[in-house]
Amino acid sequence: MGKKKSFISNLLKVEVQETFDSIITNWTGKSVDRNPGKFITPILVDLLERSNEVKKRFVLDFQKLDYMNSSTITPIIKILERAKKGKIQITVIYNKLLKWQDLSFSALKIFQTKDKRVEIRGLK
Amino acid sequence: MKSSIKFIMKPKWDEIEKIRNKSSNFLVSQGIPNDCIQALTMVISELVENSVKYGKFLSPQHTVIINIHINENIVTTEVINPVDDSVFKHLKKLDKTIQWIRGFQNPFEAYTERLRVVSKKPLKDEDSGLGLVRIAYEGKAILDFFVSEDNFLNVSALSNS
Repeated sequence: MGKKKSFISNLLKVEVQETFDSIITNWTGKSVDRNPGKFITPILVDLLERSNEVKKRFVLDFQKLDYMNSSTITPIIKILERAKKGKIQITVIYNKLLKWQDLSFSALKIFQTKDKRVEIRGLK
Repeated sequence: MKSSIKFIMKPKWDEIEKIRNKSSNFLVSQGIPNDCIQALTMVISELVENSVKYGKFLSPQHTVIINIHINENIVTTEVINPVDDSVFKHLKKLDKTIQWIRGFQNPFEAYTERLRVVSKKPLKDEDSGLGLVRIAYEGKAILDFFVSEDNFLNVSALSNS
C-alpha cells in the first residue's frame, strides 16, 4: 500500500492511494463549488496519466460522497470519454443503495466498454 | 398535507449550502422520505445555482427568493431572481432547453444524450449545461418558467414526493 495523499476544496475531499495494481481515489463530503472542474480536472488528468504510465487501474470511489452539483459531473464524464478512447483501465464505484448515487452514476454506464476496461460499478 | 416555506437569499455562492440545509430540514419536518429529500434538495440547489449564476442583482435589495410548496404528494419549488435585457440570451437558452427536455418521453434519454455531448467538450470548457436535464431526470420534475412584467424570472420545478 502506498501513502495516502489528500486534496481538499471547500467541502470536498479526494484521497488518493496507489496500491500494487490500482490508483484509488476516495471522494468524501460535498462537491458544491461554482467551478469544481478547476479543482477536480487537474487531479484526474494527473492520475489518468500516472495510471497509463504504470499500467494500473484508475478507481474513482464515490460511495462516501454526500452530494455533488451537476458541474461536478462534467469533469468526470470528460475523463471517462477520454479513457474510453485510450487504453486506460478505469472503474467508477458508487453506492447502489443510495438512490441519488444510483441515479447519478448508473447513467454513466453509457461510457462503459464491453470488456469492462471502462467500468461503472454499483456496490450494495 | 399542505404547507410551504419561503427563503430569501443573498446572491452569494456560499449561501447556497445554507439553503440546501434549510430546505432539507423543512422537507424532513414534513415527513418526506429520505430518498425524495435527496432528489428535492438537488432540484432546489440546481435552480438556486442557476439563479445566482444568471440573475442580475443590481442593488443590495435584489435577492434570490425560494418558495417550496407541498400539496399532498406534489412539491413545487419556485426560484425567483431579477433579470434584465442583458440576460436575454440566457432566457432563450433556458426556453430552448426546457422545450428540448419536453421532447423526450423519458428524461433519462435526454440526460444521457446531454452527457454524451458534454463529455466530448474540451477539458477547459467549464459550461456544464447538465443542471436542468438532471432536474428532469434525477428529480423527476417538470420544469417551467416565466418572466414577470417587473423583470423577475420565476423558474419552477414540480416533483412527486
